[in-house]
Amino acid sequence: MKPSRVTIRSYQVGFGDCFLFSVHYDNGDSRHVLIDFGSTGLPEGVPKTRLKAIAKDIQTVTGNKLTAVVATHRHKDHISGFATNEAGTASGDIIAKLQPDLVIQPWTEDPELEETATAPRARRGRKNLSSAARHVRTLWAMQQVAAQVWAEAKRSRSLRPEMRAMLGFLGENNVKNLSAVKNLMTMSKNKKKNKYVHAGTSSGLEKLLPGVNVDVLGPPTVEQHEEVGTQTSWDNDEFWVRLAAADRTSPPSGMSAKPLFPKHVVNREKYRFPVNARWFIYRAKRLRGEQMLRIVTMLDDALNNTSVILLFRVGGKSFLFPGDAQIENWEYALAQSNVRKLLKSVDVYKVGHHGSRNATPKTLWNLFEHRSADKHDAHRLTSLLSTMAGKHGREDNSSEVPRKTLVSKLERESTHFTTQNLAANDLCFQVTFDL
Amino acid sequence: MKNVLGTRHGLRTNRSLTIIAQDPSFQIDNKILRATIEVPAEELSPGPSGYRVSVIDYDATANVLYAPLELNSGLDENYPDPFADKSDQELLDNPGFHAQNAYAIVMRILARFELALGRRVAWGSSGHQLHVAPHAFAEPNAFYSREDRALFFGYFEGVLDGRKTSQTVFTSLAHDVVAHETTHALLDGLRQRYLEPSSPDQAAFHEGFADIAALLSVLSLDAIVRAVLDGKPDDRLIDARFLTPEALIDSSLMSLAKEMGQELSGIRGSALRQSLKLEPGHDYMNDEAFQEEHRRGEILVAAMLRSFLDIWVARLQRVGTISRGKKDRSLVVEEGAKAADHLLTMAIRAIDYCPPVDLTFSAYLSALLTVDREVVPDDRYGYREALLRNFASYGIAPSSSADVDGTWRRSDRDMVYSRTHFDSMLRDEEEMFRFVWENRRALELGEVGYIEVQSVRPSTRIAPDGFVLRETIAEYVQMLTLQAQELKDLGVDIPDGLDHWRNVTLFGGGTLVFDEYGQLKYQIANHLLNSEADIGRQSQRIAHLWESGFYADPAVAASRFAELHMARAMADRVSL
Repeated sequence: MKPSRVTIRSYQVGFGDCFLFSVHYDNGDSRHVLIDFGSTGLPEGVPKTRLKAIAKDIQTVTGNKLTAVVATHRHKDHISGFATNEAGTASGDIIAKLQPDLVIQPWTEDPELEETATAPRARRGRKNLSSAARHVRTLWAMQQVAAQVWAEAKRSRSLRPEMRAMLGFLGENNVKNLSAVKNLMTMSKNKKKNKYVHAGTSSGLEKLLPGVNVDVLGPPTVEQHEEVGTQTSWDNDEFWVRLAAADRTSPPSGMSAKPLFPKHVVNREKYRFPVNARWFIYRAKRLRGEQMLRIVTMLDDALNNTSVILLFRVGGKSFLFPGDAQIENWEYALAQSNVRKLLKSVDVYKVGHHGSRNATPKTLWNLFEHRSADKHDAHRLTSLLSTMAGKHGREDNSSEVPRKTLVSKLERESTHFTTQNLAANDLCFQVTFDL
Repeated sequence: MKNVLGTRHGLRTNRSLTIIAQDPSFQIDNKILRATIEVPAEELSPGPSGYRVSVIDYDATANVLYAPLELNSGLDENYPDPFADKSDQELLDNPGFHAQNAYAIVMRILARFELALGRRVAWGSSGHQLHVAPHAFAEPNAFYSREDRALFFGYFEGVLDGRKTSQTVFTSLAHDVVAHETTHALLDGLRQRYLEPSSPDQAAFHEGFADIAALLSVLSLDAIVRAVLDGKPDDRLIDARFLTPEALIDSSLMSLAKEMGQELSGIRGSALRQSLKLEPGHDYMNDEAFQEEHRRGEILVAAMLRSFLDIWVARLQRVGTISRGKKDRSLVVEEGAKAADHLLTMAIRAIDYCPPVDLTFSAYLSALLTVDREVVPDDRYGYREALLRNFASYGIAPSSSADVDGTWRRSDRDMVYSRTHFDSMLRDEEEMFRFVWENRRALELGEVGYIEVQSVRPSTRIAPDGFVLRETIAEYVQMLTLQAQELKDLGVDIPDGLDHWRNVTLFGGGTLVFDEYGQLKYQIANHLLNSEADIGRQSQRIAHLWESGFYADPAVAASRFAELHMARAMADRVSL
């Protein structure tokens, strides 16, 4: 049983990722790995039932059996498709029925790392977990913060529309998606079949995919690469925990907040504040918006950097799936000479983080030896991009996603496929690689 | 002239106001420790809103405005303190008191700076009045914003030490937090380039200095010193064994650190705690772990606090022993508060003697020593000796361009004075620029680069002989923008990976101190590229900026530093 062909289906999920990586064998057998399934916004004209349609398509294509599921990190745009409903009819329910033999997630998702622990501590028999547990706790607190920011952005009447949209998007994307998280934890039925990986660990995929090598290049643990920890917390990982607890008085989204000192509130005439205070109030509101945006951007980056980076090598071709890993995650892998060597021969690159500025480090891009401006080069690099413009970042500070300069580089130096070229009724594009 | 009604006396100069001495968790016999402080009396509108500070109690999270506090007019004869007799709970529950607490501490720090420098001191932000928002948002954070002309103080839910239920913690009720943020705004007014990216020292200095000013401000309150000394504030005598530097670290500073609200521990108070953990006798300056800005600031705080203790102990030598090795507690307390106050004055004055760009801890030490030599030429109180010894024990030596005693060298060059006018030079930036221009050779400004005079300010103080001494302090800044390749040709190291076509701006500049005759006394300068040391400084600065990602993406270079500052604002002791 030898691999003869690889196909990759890139589904149109708008802003999100959903890739079906299939290895076809010479005996007619096929094995399928679903890498991420989520969306935070669909392009115009795409029906709301898109995720369910994709789940059904996956069911058909895989013949009711998934070999493995990879959830690179817990952002909504990567896992919302795994959400379930009570009736058992949601896209996540359909995927669960495909009974994956293995579910791969980053080490930060390991339920053994007590996420709500009040003090970070190592579990018995496990070494060096305290910094890991602390990191996980910090990420947990960050998601609480995201929920608060989302709520505050929704109820605030004073934010500029574009600020509100950005806050809404980032806040929502970072809010914990409980049913999806739970489904990922339980869909493989056997707890032992859940793998929580970090750089250098085995993915557990080799046994299930004969003839395929899979390297886990990221995410690093806090011990492996301190920046992962410091990025979330600077030198104070208490900060996020405190921030999460800061706004306990804040009501559920949609309602206005309860003032601290109700008896001392100044009544407003026709919603107007006293004229002497207006200039400052305007500044304070603006500052608050920017501050919330910075906070959610930081926690967005931190979660992105928990992304699993997988490198599949099969029949002389290699396929790189880095999730939304950003530079802090990549730094560790790129510092290893053996990893750099492997990365040189990448043939297919799933573009990191929907084509954002800081997810395709120059040092990584420059390693790819199959980059070529020659369209007829048989060994030319292939790049796959799942994205939707106008959702994330802004052009005025070069943070737009996808970043224009990156896209033009991808178009120039690789055979580039993007979900943005799909019509509203196209479910996906499929690229085939003969081995 | 407005007099007190019916008399020929002028108006009172001070107003006494109740504040919380440190923060609500600092309690004696289950009562919040309070202090009454004197702030400059002034005409006030509701807020309080005065000539330098305007409290606007707007909460951006809840989008509500709280009623302003109305203190009586500065033109009245008496200024009753509205919260003098209120219960602790009333203080906590009344936003008006929070406004008063923040207003009074900000004004006190401002007055402290003005007293030390003998002139009005501007905020770093434009305009005359700095806004203060005592309940700005629900966040464990507080910061100074130059653009918004404001100090923002957040509030959050926290659990007090030893208690089960959480309560709201107001950062505007913490003396050191308010003093720290105020110091940022004042330091920014004195040296606006210190917020710009430069060396690790300069980034660390803003935080370290704000911590020092905040801690010395807290320690200059008798009530605080008395309470932390040995835990027996009501005894009249104190055993001399509590009065060695080592014992005082444990008794006063450690217990102050402990008392600084535990619920705030992750947010601040750790500046004191962290720096006390630094044992002297180690070269922290070259330690890898202390290159990072936040940690680096702790070195400065540690060196200053140890100097404070030494000075306090030295002053106690002159306090007589009453019985069996015991000293009068109130004198011990008074000397402690005085030592803190003196050191704070020196710390503030030293800013006038610092270069306007690329500040290092070494230069700051030389500035401190110079300031003290100007006032006490024979070091009879041992302040300079204490500073030199304690800074050395943390790896900080005086500037390499200073004199053998660590103080700045006096300028001995012949200057051209005939083309400028003495009186104009005291106040006019254009005239000062002419002086700089005419003397560009003597001042070694080089042939290239843009030069700008940033400020001309008077500095007055009482000389040792009791007469008023007036000096003039001027700052000039030099800027030179070159491509990386050109810098390389000049000997400046360019980091691997920095594009050779990228424009890089170098800074130079100096502080000119003129004596009362208008003659140049000191030129405290970091030249652009005059010497090997200058070239080395520029190389280090570029390397540091490169490592911190400043050149990585020109499009985000500017916002990156704003974010760094934001990140620092959010990390504990940084902004808080």
